[in-house]
Amino acid sequence: MEQKQRNSNVAQKEKISNGVKGMTIIVKTIGSWAKVLIFLFGIYIVLFGHLTPGGGFAGGVMIASAYVLLMLAFGGEFVKQNLSPSLALKLACAGTLAFAAIAVAGFFYGPDGFFWNFIGQEWLAGESSNLHFINAGIIMLAELAVGVIVAAAIFLVIFTFSTFKFDVSDNQKE
Amino acid sequence: MPYALCFLLFVIGLYCVLVKKNMVKIVIGILVMEYAVNLFLIMLGYRTGGAAPIIDKTCLEPGTGQITASFISTSVDPLPQALVLTAIVISLGSLALIISICVRTYEKYGTFDITKIRRLKG
Repeated sequence: MEQKQRNSNVAQKEKISNGVKGMTIIVKTIGSWAKVLIFLFGIYIVLFGHLTPGGGFAGGVMIASAYVLLMLAFGGEFVKQNLSPSLALKLACAGTLAFAAIAVAGFFYGPDGFFWNFIGQEWLAGESSNLHFINAGIIMLAELAVGVIVAAAIFLVIFTFSTFKFDVSDNQKE
Repeated sequence: MPYALCFLLFVIGLYCVLVKKNMVKIVIGILVMEYAVNLFLIMLGYRTGGAAPIIDKTCLEPGTGQITASFISTSVDPLPQALVLTAIVISLGSLALIISICVRTYEKYGTFDITKIRRLKG
């Protein structure tokens, strides 16, 4: 009986030390509702960055924080299945390339070259229109690229820190 | 007066960096110093009752299309805000680097106390 108790204690300690498999059902339920709202608000901040306060960086941080919420509530493995780190790295690189392509494309279209707004601005700010939020030419495309970069990069940073395992082989050698 | 409080916040961060012996607390002190500098730059660009520096049709003279003098006298300078936004992004990147250095040091020495990190271990 005592042996069994000790075994279960050891198993419990290993379970705790091997990484938490998620929190209680309350946190999981509320987190699965809140993640949608946080993600949508991040996309809204990215798309309307040229009209309202915010922009690519702030919206990207919000999208990454939705994944951080999932990471805290459901554990790292769940997030790894949803958005693998290799895919996040590819997204960050693709966003960087898209931003550079938008900047360099100005050379082929306009007299000013770098970051020339080749799409143009059809409506002035403050003027009402059905397509109000695409009235700033390349600014929205650049903000979109920045949002993808920031979301993927911050997700990668936090995911790397959360799944960090101490390498004890060096200490055991001495 | 707000500038003096800003300087006080900076000095608190400097005190934390110089006096504390825990590496994580030193990192927090560095962050407090960064926030003090950001706050100072934002306060330099503040203008009471200022308007957002976005040019629309109400800001142009009807005949000539020139920007009106009232827009120039009321609009906020956007440069400090752009500067501080860039500084926040860079401080985020440097924070990730500093924390990874702290984690590697803890892995190597088993402590965060800087007075106990003496030996050179390769």
